[in-house]
This record gives sequence, C-alpha cells and structure tokens, in this order.
Amino acid sequence: MEKKTNTLLILALIVGLAFHGSAIFFTLESTYDALIHLFFADHYANSWFDPWEYRWYTGFTVQSYPPLVHQLIGILSYIGGLKFGMYTVALIAIVLFITGAYRYTLLMTGSRRIAGYGAVMAVFSSTFVETLHIFGQLPSISALSILLHSMTEIYLWIKTGKTRYFITSATMLAVTVTSHHVTPLFGMVFFIAPLMGMAVMDASREKVASYKALTFKVFWGTTLQHFWRIAKFGGTAIFLLVFCIFPYWYNSKRNPITQVAIPHGSRDNFLEITSSGLVFFIIPWGVFLFILPYFFYRYFSKRYVFFGLSFGLLTILGTGGTTPIPRMMLGEMAFNILTLDRFTLWATIMALPIFAEFAYRMVEGDLKALIQKRFGGVYHRVLGGLIAGGMLFMVLFTMTLGYFRPSQPAKIKMLPIVNFLGADSHDSWRYLPLGFGDQMAWLSAQTGAMTVDGNYHSARRLPELTTRAIERIENSKFRGVEGIGSLQQFLTVPEKYNLKYIFSNDKFYDPILYYCGWQRLQQLENGIMVWEKLNVAPIPQIMPKQDVPTIMKIMWGIIPLSTVLIAIFVNIQMIWVRLLKSRKVPVHSFMKLELPYNKFSSKLLTFSHWWALLVLICMGYGMYIFYVKNVTQLSPNNVVESYYDALDFKEFSRAHSYIDPEQNIDIAQYMLEVSVTDGILSSYAKLDSLGIEIYDKTENSAKAKVSTRWITPLENVFNNDHHELIKRKNKWYIKSLKVDNDIPPDQLFTSNGTTYYNHGRRKITTQETYHEDVLKQPVLEILSAKLVKYKGQYSIIGELQNVDNTPADIVIKATLYNDDNKELANYNAKHQIKHKLMPKETTTFKINFEGIAWSSTKDTLPPTFDPDQFTPISFEEQPTKFNLQSAGNTANTDLYKHVALQDLVYTEQGFNGVLFNSGVQEVTIPQLIISYYDAEGKLLWVDHKFITEGVRIQRKQFFNYKPLDLDSLAVVSSSLENCFVNGSPNKAIADKLFPNRKLTHGMKQAQPFKGKGYEYIKFEINSYIGNPK
Amino acid sequence: MRVKILMILSLVLLGCSSKEEEQPKETNTPNTTFITSKNTSIAGEAITLAFNTDQPNANYKLQVKNAYGNVLLNPKNSTDKNITFNIPKNFTRIAGPFRWKLLSNGETLHNGKHSITTNAPKATYVESYFGPRSVTAGRNDFSMLTISPTDAYDNPVDDGTEVTVKYQFLENIDEQKITTESFIAWYNVASTLKSGRILVTSECNGTTSKELATIVYPANAVNFNISSSSAHNFADGNQIVTFTSDIIKDEFGNVVTNGTLVTFVIKNEDNSYLYTIGTTINGIAEAKTLHPDKAASWEIQAFVTGAAESNTTEFEFKAAIKDYPVHFSKGNRNIDIGPFESFMKQLIPDGLLLKLEVYDTEGNFIESKITTTKSGVCNIFLGEYFLPDGEYLFKINAAGITKEFTKSINGDTVK
Repeated sequence: MEKKTNTLLILALIVGLAFHGSAIFFTLESTYDALIHLFFADHYANSWFDPWEYRWYTGFTVQSYPPLVHQLIGILSYIGGLKFGMYTVALIAIVLFITGAYRYTLLMTGSRRIAGYGAVMAVFSSTFVETLHIFGQLPSISALSILLHSMTEIYLWIKTGKTRYFITSATMLAVTVTSHHVTPLFGMVFFIAPLMGMAVMDASREKVASYKALTFKVFWGTTLQHFWRIAKFGGTAIFLLVFCIFPYWYNSKRNPITQVAIPHGSRDNFLEITSSGLVFFIIPWGVFLFILPYFFYRYFSKRYVFFGLSFGLLTILGTGGTTPIPRMMLGEMAFNILTLDRFTLWATIMALPIFAEFAYRMVEGDLKALIQKRFGGVYHRVLGGLIAGGMLFMVLFTMTLGYFRPSQPAKIKMLPIVNFLGADSHDSWRYLPLGFGDQMAWLSAQTGAMTVDGNYHSARRLPELTTRAIERIENSKFRGVEGIGSLQQFLTVPEKYNLKYIFSNDKFYDPILYYCGWQRLQQLENGIMVWEKLNVAPIPQIMPKQDVPTIMKIMWGIIPLSTVLIAIFVNIQMIWVRLLKSRKVPVHSFMKLELPYNKFSSKLLTFSHWWALLVLICMGYGMYIFYVKNVTQLSPNNVVESYYDALDFKEFSRAHSYIDPEQNIDIAQYMLEVSVTDGILSSYAKLDSLGIEIYDKTENSAKAKVSTRWITPLENVFNNDHHELIKRKNKWYIKSLKVDNDIPPDQLFTSNGTTYYNHGRRKITTQETYHEDVLKQPVLEILSAKLVKYKGQYSIIGELQNVDNTPADIVIKATLYNDDNKELANYNAKHQIKHKLMPKETTTFKINFEGIAWSSTKDTLPPTFDPDQFTPISFEEQPTKFNLQSAGNTANTDLYKHVALQDLVYTEQGFNGVLFNSGVQEVTIPQLIISYYDAEGKLLWVDHKFITEGVRIQRKQFFNYKPLDLDSLAVVSSSLENCFVNGSPNKAIADKLFPNRKLTHGMKQAQPFKGKGYEYIKFEINSYIGNPK
Repeated sequence: MRVKILMILSLVLLGCSSKEEEQPKETNTPNTTFITSKNTSIAGEAITLAFNTDQPNANYKLQVKNAYGNVLLNPKNSTDKNITFNIPKNFTRIAGPFRWKLLSNGETLHNGKHSITTNAPKATYVESYFGPRSVTAGRNDFSMLTISPTDAYDNPVDDGTEVTVKYQFLENIDEQKITTESFIAWYNVASTLKSGRILVTSECNGTTSKELATIVYPANAVNFNISSSSAHNFADGNQIVTFTSDIIKDEFGNVVTNGTLVTFVIKNEDNSYLYTIGTTINGIAEAKTLHPDKAASWEIQAFVTGAAESNTTEFEFKAAIKDYPVHFSKGNRNIDIGPFESFMKQLIPDGLLLKLEVYDTEGNFIESKITTTKSGVCNIFLGEYFLPDGEYLFKINAAGITKEFTKSINGDTVK
C-alpha cells in the first residue's frame, strides 16, 4: 500500500502554527510563567555552569527547576535575544504537541484518519490554549509533548521487545525528564503504566480469538511473559528520572521545601469560588464536558481499561477542593504542594484520542448514521455545528480572557528602570518592584541588580517569606495580612537586606512607604515612581553562596542538551523516513487494532443527551444566580450593595444612578462632590466586607446601617454609615449624604517656606563620592527613652529632637538585652514616629518588636486580610536593658508641617478635634501621634491614629480619638545610657549642643488630662501628601 | 584469599616506602663581598646592589623586603667577578628602610639594610580633609583641618615639615604655621561667634591645597516675642488668624537658621491646648490657624523646644453671630435654621457647623444630625422613615448658641 501524507495532520500543523504561532506574540508575555522561564534562561545565558543566582531572594540556586527549556532559550538568545529564544521554543513546543497528539491518537485508535482528527482537535483544545496562552507553562507543554511522542516507542518496546524501541523510548524519556520533573513523575503513573497495561492487553488479545475470550488468566500469563521488558523499562525510567536531573534531587534534599503552602485556585471549592472553577475546570474541559459519558464508556472497554482507571483518577483529582476525595487521596501534604490543575490538563490530553474518535464517528462514521436515522439530517448538522461552535467559542473565550480580565498590570517599559539601576551605582543596593506582576521577572532578566523579591516561590530562602503564604512581596496587597505583613518587615528594616530602592507601579503602597520612612526620589518617564530609603549600606562585595560539587555543575550544564542531541541523533532516521516517506516501513501491530466503527450504541446516545441536558441546566442555573445577584435596585439590600460596589471601583456615574432622583443632584454636581474628597478611604482602600443591616423598613422607605471594612496598606478601617433608602417606581434608591459646605475665606493663598536641595555628587565621577560632597549627618538628641511593657508586649518609647540646623531623616533602631547582656531582639521604628524633622523639631516614637509572623507553621493563619495584625516577638527571656541607635541624614522632601490642631474638646466619646491645613499642599492621610505623660511630664506611652479622610488646603477635618487606659503599663527600664546618635554617645551631644536645655517646654506644650494612669496627653501630626506639588 | 591480598598490598606499600632518600648535592659556599658603599638614597632614585664573588655562575638570589612585602631578585649582569642587582621601582620609590639578603642555594651569604628618604624637593602633593562640615557658633565647637603632604611617590613628608594653614572668615584672613607629625599636620579651626562660612586652605613646600569650607550655624535660639493679627476678631469660623514672631536670634545675635521649627501653643478658654506650627525665614516664624466659630479667648505662647520661648499673647474672639431664627414647618418635620447673620448683618460664609440632637420627652437621646450652612441658611428634614410621629425635644447647636424646642411632629410627605 502506498503511504500517503496525512492531509489532516498537515492541515493541523499549518493552522496550529499560524494560529498559536501568531497569537503567542500577544499572549505569552502576559502569562503567569513565561517571563520566569525567561529569567532562568537569562541566568544560563550569562553563567551556564554556575547554578547560583544572586538576583532573587538574596541568592538561590537554579538547580531547583529542570533546566532544559531554560537552557534552550538561553542558547537561542545568542542568536536573537531572550525573547527570540522564548518564541522559538514556544513554536517548537506547538509543533511537538500537535504531532505528539497525532501519534498518541494513532497508537490508541490504530486509524490514521482518526489520528488526523486528533491532531486537529489538539490545535483547538481549550486546555492547550489555556496552558500556553494564559499560564505560559512552556516546560510542562514541552515535556508532555515529548512524553506523548515516546508512548508509541514504549508500547512497541513492550510489545516487540526490540532494542531499537527501547533506545528510542529511553532517549525521549530523558528529554522529558530534563524539561519538567513533575510530568514524567506523574506521567509514569498516569500515562505509562496504563500504556504498558494496554500493550500487554493487546498481546493477550493476539493469543485469543476475541475480547470475550480474554480472561484475567490469559492476561496474567501475558503479563508474566512481558515482565522483564516492563521491569527493564521501569528501571531505566527511574534511573533516568534520578540521573538526568540528579542535581535537582540533591538540591531538594539539601534545601527541603519547608515553607507555608501558598493558596492556589486549583485547590478551591469550584462551586464556591466560581472564578477558580472557570479557570481550572470549565475552561480546560470545555466542550469535553458534554461528551464525558462517551469518554468513560470508551475508556472502560477492555482494551483501554487501564487508561480508564487513570482517566477517572485524573478527573477526580482535578476537581480540587470541590470534593474531599483529592485531599484524602493525596494526603494533606501533597495536596497543599501540588497544583491540581495539572491533573485536569492530563485528563483532557488523555481524552483527546477518544474525542477524535468521537469526532470521526460524528462527522463521517456510525454516529452520524445513527443520529440521522433517529433524529434526522438537520438535527445532525445542528448538533455538529453546536459542538464545533462550542469548541471555537471556548478557544476564543480562553484566548481573550487575558484581554477582558487582565491578570497582569499593563505592560511596563523597562528601559528607564534598567537605566536607573545602571546609573550612579544604584545597583550597589537591592531594589524591590511593587505592582509589577510577573513582569518583574523580565525586569530582573534585563539588569544585573538584585532584588529581595523573586518570582519562583519554591526557591525562597528568607524566613520572612517562607513563613508566609505569599508568592511575591511585589503583589502583597493581594495576599492579605501575610502579604502586607511581609512587606512591612522589609520596609521597616531595609538595611538588613541592603534594600534602598523601590519601584512602585501601584499607588496603593505609597502611604505605607511614606510612614515606614521612605521618600520619593523621582518619577521615571514610564510613570514608575522611585522611592528610596536613606541610611542603608550597599551590598557587601562578598556575598554568601551555597556551592555545589563541580560534578553537579557539569552534570547540570551538559546532560539536558545532550539528551536532546542524543534523542535527535537516535530518532533522526525515523523522523526522516516518516516525514518523507522515503521508504516503506512495516505497519506497526497496533494499526491492526483499528475498530470497524459500525454500530454506535443507541443507549449511549440517549444517555449522552440526558447528560448534556444536565450540564446545560447546571450552566443555566449558574447564569441565573449570576443575574439575580447583579440586579441592582431590586431590594434595599441590593441598592446599598451596588452603591458601595460602584464607589469601590470608582464608577461614579453608576453610583450616581442609585441616588434618589428627587433630590435633584445632577451628575456633574455629584462628580464634583466626589472628586474633592481625598484620604485613605477614597484613594488607597479596597472594600473588603460589607455588612448591611436594614431596619425601620416600610413599604416605600428603609434605613440602612452599613458597616464597611476597608483594606488599606496601613491598617484596617472600619466604618459605620447610615443611609436612608427610598422606593420610587418599584426601584430602590439611596439618599445622598449632605456635603460639607465649608469654604475657605480666600481664593488665592500665598505661602513662604524654606526648601532644600541636595546635589548628590557635585563632581561627575565614577569613583566613590568625593569627601567634600558627603553631607554631614544632622545631629539628633534623644530626650528620653524607656522600655515599657503594656498588654504583655514590650516596646521602646521615647522622644528625640533634631538639634541640628538642617532637616533630618530619622532612622532609629532598638536592641533588647537581658540581665546577662544577651541580645534578645532588635527592630526599627515603623510608623509611630515622624521620620522627617525640621531643625529643632521633636518627635515621640515607639518601637515594637515584631517577630517573623507564623514562624511556626502550625499557628493557624487568619482567614482574611488584616494589615495591622501584628506578630509580637516571643521572648524566651525577660528583656531588661536596651540600646538605641539613631541616625540622621539630611532630608529635603516631605517636610510639610502646616497642619494645625484647631480645636479640641473632650466628650464621652473621646477627644473630638479639628485639624486645619494652613499650607498649600493637600494632606491625603493625616496621622496623629499621641503621647501620654505622667504628672512629672515623663513619657509613658505612644499611640497613633490614622485619620481616614484627608485635610484639604485651608480647610478643616474632624477627628475623634479615644484615650487609652494605661493602668496596666509597667516601665521596665528608663535610661539614656546606651543611646547613640550617628554612632556617638547621646550624652556627649546633649552636653555640647544643648547644655542649658529648658526641660519645662515639654510640659508646657502638652494637654493636661486626667486619664487612667497618666496626667498629660499630647497630639502630634504627621502628614502624608499623596501628590506633592 | 584475603590474607594473600593483604600480604601483596603490604609488599606494595613497603616497596613504595623504601625509596632512597635524596642526598643533598655537594656544593661549596661561594665567597662574596658586598661592594656597594651607599646605603641610603632618595625615593625614586635607582638603587643597585653589587657583590664581588669568586663563583660568578652560582645560583644567586637577592631577597628584598620592605613594609609592603617581599621580592626575590635575580642578578642583573654577572661579569667575571661582580654580580649586581637592580632594586625594582616599586621598592625604590617607597620611603623607609628595606632589608636585603643575598642567598645562594637557600643559604644566606650577606644581609643588610638600606634606607630611602622622602623625595620632598621633587614635588609635594597636599591632601587635606576638613570636618565636620558645619559647626555651631560659640566658643566650644571647632572643625579640624587635617593635612597630609606627600612627595611625588605618595610618601608622607618627613616629620617636622612646615605647613601653612590659612583661613578666612568675613574680612579676616589668618595664617598659621604648623608642622607635620606622624605623617600629618592638623589644625582645629575654632568656631566663631558670628554665623557664616569659614574657608580654609593649606600650603606645604609651595604646593597649595584646594579650598575647603565649614559653615558656622547660629547657636540655639534665645527667648523672643510674638504677635498675632487677623482681618477681624469675630469668631466666624472662616477667617485666618496669623501668629508672627519677631526676628529670633541666638545669644550672639545671629539670626537662627532658616527652617527652624517654632510651635505656637494656643490655650483656649476651655483649657484645651491647640497648636499651629511655623518655620522661620530670616528669623521670623509665621503660623496660621482658623478662627473658632464661637466666642473664645486664646492665650498663645511659642516655643523653640528646649531652647527658647516667647512671651504670652492673647487674642479675644467676639461672637460673630448673636442669634439665629428656627422655623418648623410641614408637620414640624421640616426645620429651617437661619439666616445666620454675622457681625455686620452679612450672611455668614458657607460651612458653619450645625448640630441637631433629638431627644424623647423623657430626655433620652435618640439621634443626631449634622449639617453645614449654605448661603447663610440650613435645612433639616426629618422624614417619617427617620422619625415616627410623636413628641420630641430638639436641641440645636450652632456658633456656640444652643436652642431647645419641644415639638410634636406628625404627617409625612413621602408618597
């Protein structure tokens, strides 16, 4: 028989390359993983044999991920750059996947026609589209494709026992191993084991006349005959898995993953969290969902029974946390480490041949005949159209998901950042990107500068990161308390990590940066704001490194590409022959097993219809629920919810549509009123939860008490609002709250002030900064310092003054000791201090000793976000002494001091005060620092309060503060003995610069107030300006 | 079997160990004499050490050692009787002694010491540092000028070398001659009583250094006076009152640095401590705050914390609003308050705060409403959904004036 080229396969390849090949240029760079692989590739391109990578996580080893794909991209990058390498590898992966699906289908069905269908289905399979275009899992796709290719060879080895097939299968398996470790590991269980079963089954079938005669006894006998082949292959596979990526296993043993599990959507209950259900269940399965009964029917036939078991298992495991079964099967540990979506991926890939078979039977086989007979030709065409249309819809939907629901921030131009890091030795410090998404990997790949963050969470090393379920600090706002908590530790003690620069692409983080003592340096031309921290030492020249034996480096550098070369060498003849049909090859035995497909089970058809109906009903119900939840003015509850939702997303015209129309507030007026409010709630908060309590409800009116919980970078904000609701023409409306009519007296204000500028280096030099260009550190004086214990927690409180003549940026670090002078803990002042002081300005401060949260992973993690959740350090011994190290550096920004305390009244609800902004900058977030004093004017405690609304220029803002009860406060130690300023003893400074200090001034500025445990209280104001002008 | 292997092994080992020990070659020590007479030189000058020998072809090495390290030299040219060694440049340029040893086959034949002196006459470079970069006016602060003159090869000049220090402050230029000691010369430039800038320079062997400066900042402020001013002294809650200090100076009469923070603490008639902040420009601090919205008397005192305080000044705010009308309508559910008339019978500027508290007839608090005036009036509507029909006590507070009404409300306008 003359062998013809399979036109369907050629068609699939052309369409596949044209479609995926052009689409990747628009999707791949905004996928979750692709840029991470690019970063790894950049590592190999720069240092092929040295596995240590300094740029992420204060150093990690790339031997924590199989290297083949990265090394391929790295090699190709020498031709046309990293991205060229990535796209080339992606194109190769596409070809490998389509041909792999073809060969796998051919093996399973024995029909070249159906295999052609399989190749076409592979192109349009939504699971492949998702894995490539949304997840960007290049290594996983490559490994899976090679695994599919190797299946034919493995089958033939088991069946025929020819050494040729043993070699081809082993070489291909080696390539799989070096490109992805999990694929061959689970592939052995889920793909190769059933394949071997099928091979033995086929061998048994040849011995008997029919499948009916194939009893277990026959099968067992054949298994024993084939045992050595199976064992030989199994042993080889295990050897390859261990040997080819031995450094990986060595590293896993040496640096076991001890971190807290990071939540992953694939472990969610898909019925509860529908977005996860969509991404990890609906999309990968797609149209396959309707045809599930056929898959099970076919896979549980005798020949495929092992595949059936495997398929069933994969399907169940892929359901994640929807049912308790996967958790029970995998065990708690594995369940929390594995991402379960890969099971669904494998299940859908496994189903491909059967789907191809179904398509064949539907288009030109017995199913077509059956349907036409039972329901008529029109129905067949409509049904076929629906299935094809459904498939196409799923592909388009998946492809455009990233467009309509972007999972990544908009593409950032990296060049300005790369230039910034390269200039003026900025790369002598570490940097931290914020709000970059997975693009941070692309930034890292382009610069030699180091970051404390990273994008490969398995390699995290700092306990601040591994003890928390966050993948990156960069997107910590999405990771709740752990995220912000981790970020705050890095921001408060940046000198520990030599962290000096932050690139912020998300203004959400601005307030916390400011209150942790960071300052804005400049805005780059791509809109990224650069923040810097003063008083941070550069990275030391010699950095710690975890070295591995040279043999490991050589293995890691040489084996992966060698496996590819060997595989090509071994298989080249076969590829050549198969491609060009240059000579006839004997038909493989599995080709004889093609089924006649002459009688489609009528019962199955009926059952499939009912099943499809069920699926449709479920989907319809889901859509209905979605609709009801989103009708906005159906009930008082709905209108309040919608109103707050609109406010949260800043869709003010939508919010305006819920306002009572009879109040006659036109949209322009409403927008104006909204636009003039500023503050942490309107600019930096995300609505976390909404509690609506409807009371006094009548037919046409109701009152609502709305308790809101807002997430801000600083702390949680709880708000209670009362609204009046009204029903007009069957629609509920909300009554607008009255606005403050306050107007300032003047139209134009003038303001004078001293401004500062620091040249940096006056001389342009690449050497160290000249001695005369280094500014003198402003001198500070610590006026008081105490170690106190309040509510079971130790804190250092105190007061300090900038006694110099230039403005100072303050960094203050406290260390606690016990009686034996053993160091117990150290920490920096976070936000209970004014970090920027004008000459002669004073500030009170408080240092809390924060431990690394959940350092024992057994502690239960709080379920929701709580940024001000604080993990006090646990002391094994009693701290009795302390050491304070403060440092001043010349400050030239954030020196706005024009907020006055205009009124203060004590009522039963606490202090009601009025702030007045007498300057010309809008204060976005005012902070009150409240200090408590005893009768002698000695400092007892420091507290703070963020005011949720800003203070506009020349206007007032009201605040309420409830004073504390301090009866339980104990002063452990009060001493200025071990206090240092810029490295000099505090006492010497005090004696020299302030020999005649007037000690009564503190008392004269404080409010006498008889509270529980104190006599005086003082309010200081620290102002964060969101948009300095 | 095992015993056999063991025996063979031990035989092999024996074979290895019985290797004959290498005998030292027999040589006779050469007879050499040191013929260079000079054992001192100036930095940079070439140095050659020469020896007379009876065995010119023997293996000679010269070991040279100075404070920076060691070097082993081969003879430069061995003629029949003489061997000479050229000391490398990096040794001849470093002032101080170096020691040498003539070696032959590990045996020391001669040793000696050579001294190199600083080459000051060739050229002198002056490196100087001055710090701190700023000092405080007065008698106990100073900046230290440290000068390290070196020769062309970076050798510190000899102790006792004269260095001239010059410093300028205002019209005065002073000169001082000091000498180097232990490589450096230093001079403490005392702070002055006047603030300003001290420039310094230094000179050694005719070479001058660059200009360096220290800024003399004023010392701590001394007590000062403040005054207050405003467009009027009515408590309208809208105008701005300004507090100004006179020129704040230190004890030597210098105007304090720009940016010095001055806190104006206000004590009102309720004994509440309010404050506002100003920073000085040319010694004058100015701070602003808003008029209160009811009659008040403020006592203001300003502080440069720890250093200076001002006199206490007073500011009386007269009530701007004497009274306001309240009008109930629509079944007493609609309350119109105002017009609020200010001190000239003009309408009060928008934004005066008004608070309504609702109590039941027994005096239990029910609810409160806050609003602000617009165009001199404000309006509160108590809908049926807000307050059912009944009798209530209303307390209205604005501009420090509280009014009480007991009204029964009924009816509603919401259809």
